[in-house]
Amino acid sequence: MGQKMELACIIDDDKIYVNLVRKIIEIKKLSENLLIFKNGLEALEYFKIILTNMSEEKLPDIIFLDLNMPVMDGWEFLGEFIKIKNQFDKKITLYVVSSSIDPRDLERAKSFNLVTDYLIKPIELKKFEKIFDRVA
Amino acid sequence: MLNDLQLNSILEDFDIAYWKINLLTKEITWSEHFEALVGEVPTNEPLFEYFINYILHKDYRYDYRVAFENLTTGSEDLNQEIRIKLKNDKFRWFECRNLKSKDSNNETAVLLFVNIHQSKRDQYTIEENFFYYRETAEMTTTGGWYIDIKTHAIYWDDVTKKILDCPKDFNPDYEKRLQFYALEHQEKANSIFEKCEKYGIPFRTELKMASLYGREFWVQVTGKPVYNDEQEIIGIRGVLQNIDENKSNELNLQNSLDIIAAQNSRLFNFAHVVSHNLRSHSSNLSLVVQLLNEAKNAQDKLDLLDNVEDISENLDVAISRLNDMVAHQNLLTKERTNVSFKQSLDMVISSVSSLINRESAKIISEFKALKEIQYIPEYLESILLNLITNAIRYKQPGRVPVIFIQTYSVNDQNFMEISDNGIGIDLDQYGDKMFGMYKTFHRNPDAKGIGLFITKNQVETMGGSISVTSTVNIGTTFKIKF
Repeated sequence: MGQKMELACIIDDDKIYVNLVRKIIEIKKLSENLLIFKNGLEALEYFKIILTNMSEEKLPDIIFLDLNMPVMDGWEFLGEFIKIKNQFDKKITLYVVSSSIDPRDLERAKSFNLVTDYLIKPIELKKFEKIFDRVA
Repeated sequence: MLNDLQLNSILEDFDIAYWKINLLTKEITWSEHFEALVGEVPTNEPLFEYFINYILHKDYRYDYRVAFENLTTGSEDLNQEIRIKLKNDKFRWFECRNLKSKDSNNETAVLLFVNIHQSKRDQYTIEENFFYYRETAEMTTTGGWYIDIKTHAIYWDDVTKKILDCPKDFNPDYEKRLQFYALEHQEKANSIFEKCEKYGIPFRTELKMASLYGREFWVQVTGKPVYNDEQEIIGIRGVLQNIDENKSNELNLQNSLDIIAAQNSRLFNFAHVVSHNLRSHSSNLSLVVQLLNEAKNAQDKLDLLDNVEDISENLDVAISRLNDMVAHQNLLTKERTNVSFKQSLDMVISSVSSLINRESAKIISEFKALKEIQYIPEYLESILLNLITNAIRYKQPGRVPVIFIQTYSVNDQNFMEISDNGIGIDLDQYGDKMFGMYKTFHRNPDAKGIGLFITKNQVETMGGSISVTSTVNIGTTFKIKF
């Protein structure tokens, strides 16, 4: 395995899922740190603060974005994030992660350039490792 | 008196054949033309029997024999329409009658055979066409009409009168002709008739007419100018067809389509919820299993088992919500009854009294203008319950929640409005998602995001609609059109 990733980010309202992913990251030592937001708005507010403070070291290398969330769902987050993303110098890899198997969701997610891939829950451990490996 | 030769040649010109019958000897002589028509007779056969048996169509044998007897013995006139087989084996219609002016000594009778096949066929064609016309007119409710421009007489056929609810002896008055059009279509009707009358422009259009009793309905009407020999327009004639049934079928069809589309979108939503909610738990379960396989010691495994408990609990909640939704759909088979708003509200208030008391919420109702409604009681209660608990849940912090419920009707249409003084919703941002499933707009842990979806569903399945107006920090009003 290559070097460890600095910072990963999960945007998901499912506490159990987030806990399990956190465990996987810990056990497999996939990332030094982990950012967790329970909806799109919380994540967006975080990114806006970074933008004003220009503290890019706090930007994640990878984002796992859920689609169905209260307050601001994954689609809305993508719509907002697209507007500010280019102001960051750092390359951020974004995966949409959802339990939806609706082909329309998949189609729509792939229509966003900033979405690297659409992952259907559950993600296998090996797949997690591969993704982290590739990005790190 | 003409001699045979002369008579023959005249009659032949008119395609008329004849028999000469000697009344004393009963001897029959056929004219040349008759022989030319039916062919030669075998010499051993008596003429009359041969004619009856081989030339005359069998349907007429009996009547003809009787009439012939009467002519030759009782000198009664003979006049029959008969069918005769010609040389080419085809039957043709002939009129057979005796010549009235007998010769002086009453010895000879003359029977004329006039070919009437063409006119007979025309007659049949006309009868047939008339039959088709009448049946078509009846079946398609299509009536004919004619307006005489010179005399201002209007002619309507029976179907037109029926379409317009007029008795058969009704005489339309030219001056009042526009009364038979719906008010908003009188000008249009007048203008197309005028154009046809002045410039001969034919028309075919859909108009709303009004019957003698003012019943309004849609017709398709066509009209064409009628010219006289001088090429002047002397009238307009055309047909009008009642297409109201088609129109209303069209509307019904559209209605059914809307219902199907709505059902379909509910099904999609349901499938989505089923897929998303059940799958998210099962995928968590699968993650746990993967982690269990990786776990190195007993403590790690035990920690993971806690997750299984949480997942199973969540799964349970998800399934019972799905059950709720299905149960709500099933209520549809129930019958509408008279439901009192006050009773329903009392029921709802008592069922959430703890929430109301805890928040000291005030509920004011005003049902004087509309006290009850034909509805499914469970639906009305569920709608009230959802909207009231919503209003209390999203109260403005520090403000006592006040909910004002009012019913009224406008133009036979019933309404209910439920207003609160809560935190309100930014409709520009969330308006279109307001009634979707699992949408929550406030960072409120109680929010389940299903209440308004169900409310909208219930209102719509009962044939109504729900709309919302809201101002952030001031309050929200839901308006239900029943």
